[in-house]
Amino acid sequence: MIRRLLLAFALLVFAAGAQAHKASDSYLQIDANDKTLALRWDIALRDLDVALGLDANDDGSLTWGEVKAAWPRIQAYALPRLAIAGCALHVDSTALERRNDGAYAVMLMSSSCVLAQAPVIAYSLLREVDPTHRGIVKVTRPGQPMALTMLTPSDVAMPASTPPEPAHETAGFVREGVRHILTGYDHVLFLLCLLLPSVMRRTPEGWRSVDKLSQAVWPVVGIVSAFTVAHSITLALAATQVVSLAPAFIEPAIAVTIILAALDNVWPVFPVRRVVVTFCFGLIHGFGFAGVLAELNLPTAAFAWALLQFNVGLELGQLAVVVSVTALLFLLRHRPRYRGLVIRGGSFAAMLVGVLWLIERTANVSILPM
Amino acid sequence: MRIPVFALAVALAAAALSAHAVPIVPTRDDEVIDVLPAVNGNRAEERRLRRQLAEAPRDPALALAAAKRYLDQAHALGDPRFAGMAMAALEPWQDDAAMPDAVLLMRATLQQYLHEFDASAANLQRLLARPGEPRPQAWLLLATVRRVQGRYAESDAACRQIARAGAALHATACAAENAALRGDVARARAAFNALLADRGLAAATQAWLRTSLAELEQRAGDASAADVAYQASLRLAPDAYTTLAYADFLIEQKRQAQALVLLKGQARSDAVLLRLAIAGTQAGAASSSADVAEMRERIALANERPDAKVFHGREQAMFALAVDRDAKRAWELARGNAARQREPLDVLVLAQAARASGEPLALQEAKRIANEMGLRDRRIEVLL
Repeated sequence: MIRRLLLAFALLVFAAGAQAHKASDSYLQIDANDKTLALRWDIALRDLDVALGLDANDDGSLTWGEVKAAWPRIQAYALPRLAIAGCALHVDSTALERRNDGAYAVMLMSSSCVLAQAPVIAYSLLREVDPTHRGIVKVTRPGQPMALTMLTPSDVAMPASTPPEPAHETAGFVREGVRHILTGYDHVLFLLCLLLPSVMRRTPEGWRSVDKLSQAVWPVVGIVSAFTVAHSITLALAATQVVSLAPAFIEPAIAVTIILAALDNVWPVFPVRRVVVTFCFGLIHGFGFAGVLAELNLPTAAFAWALLQFNVGLELGQLAVVVSVTALLFLLRHRPRYRGLVIRGGSFAAMLVGVLWLIERTANVSILPM
Repeated sequence: MRIPVFALAVALAAAALSAHAVPIVPTRDDEVIDVLPAVNGNRAEERRLRRQLAEAPRDPALALAAAKRYLDQAHALGDPRFAGMAMAALEPWQDDAAMPDAVLLMRATLQQYLHEFDASAANLQRLLARPGEPRPQAWLLLATVRRVQGRYAESDAACRQIARAGAALHATACAAENAALRGDVARARAAFNALLADRGLAAATQAWLRTSLAELEQRAGDASAADVAYQASLRLAPDAYTTLAYADFLIEQKRQAQALVLLKGQARSDAVLLRLAIAGTQAGAASSSADVAEMRERIALANERPDAKVFHGREQAMFALAVDRDAKRAWELARGNAARQREPLDVLVLAQAARASGEPLALQEAKRIANEMGLRDRRIEVLL
């Protein structure tokens, strides 16, 4: 029994590769001038049939007689489901038309109102029938380019006529940046290695805890700024394809930066100040971010803008990590075991992970779960 | 002078867009305006079910029956409107933690059909975290979603859970499919053949396994074995998926005429029409210009939705590459598509577009994606 059940299910899942016809859309054309609006709203008869049952005799064909008889119901159904703030809509005439995916009911409407620059349109057509339905709005105004908007059926009013993508993308690419720094464990681990000794000072006798928060904060600010500036430079260079390095080189190199940073916490190995080293290593991490950016498929038109947003997201995520870790470490700094457990233990653990990553990334095997 | 030129361009664009619509002027009451899509079974019965559901919208049995019915229709006709209607049947439980298990599973299934893979996986994980009986269906779907996303290790983990849930055949086929994708061909082939040795299998199960075997041989570069397996599958139980896969195989093998014959009787979904346009163009068939024009119009219509390139990226990339020979555009579309969907065909199209574009960076990226996934496919390897 379970086998039969599963089989039907497997076939269902399996066959999902077969793709799509057109989804359900209505078309709303708004021509606005100084004093009035002319609107034209096209709704597919087959969608209206699902909502209202236009096919009176259930024979699968919609005749003119059936559609004509149903017109009052079509208008009574559709009109309350579209509202443009400040505009009362009147139906002047109706028509039928054929589109690629079937016949459409057309309502020609007008309103004596001035369309706001960002009109608020409430749209709930077919919401109970097909939540994937959309309204496609084209707004034309004298002397302005046509504006396209997509309406999602809902009860909430939404502003239209300015394309909604930029707002969307802002949140989208910033979020991607944050997500990447928080789930890109290698970048976080590198930052942690740099931060571990930040509440200590290096003296000839070894690490000494700082007394005041300011003594910890300024080195952290320096290190984080160096990392930020450096990875922003290479991220921009790689994203604009000025410089490109193979991931086969970058990914292991990032693991090496972690190993070296951790090593330096235990035995000083850097010949120059940590800030300089951080800058150099930051250049390498920037190429790593660029690899993710490539997968996000940024819009070519607004490329620089999207890049900036992604970077802002990275910095926000990074700031969250730095602030919380530094605060925690500062509180712990006087604990007798801080040096042994946190700096040495943490650094050895980071080194181990770095070495495993290095092996994974050069030998192309999988050892760690992430 | 700028504004008039611009206004003219807008007017032309508006004219081009409205050219999609032709007025209908009916003259008689019995004139047929539109023919509704076929329904499974009786139309009146379907309406009755819809009315019952409207009266008791939170009745899980009714909602599931309706959703199942519409999803079957979406599959049969390749028509996404039915998937939307199936989704509507489940709407009363929107964001409800108390959503019944079966409703949650159906929602995840629909999301997978609509290519909302992350949402589908998230719902499956919610379902699988609930206490209760083992859930082989949910694990099977999760394994499929992860495989489509190119996340083979996570798919493997789900396959192992299918075995624990007591569905040995599906667990074996699931693991073999992933092994085959990673290039462990000999072992996967042996696993499929061992399953097929059971003569008691239902025809549809055998067909499913044969299709998997055919795809394995196709990726491994053994055209004659793939051909035999595809034909065996279609003889056992023809389905839309295998028909399309076989059509792609025939086109790949430069057997366009046979691909055209195979697709002739199929419902003209976007996927079918696309293959008709590609095979027809390559073979110089007389019917091809009409198919190409219709496909082009469907793409233009679909693209009025800003997110269309995301959800139809694969098909649009194939069209740009094979019909328009626009490698740059094909690459952009294929790359966008591969960000969410990574079946072998998606990576293959990406690699083809990269090769056609001649851009070393594009080739590098396609290669990186294939390597990252661990996908082994002869067709892709010869391109990169």
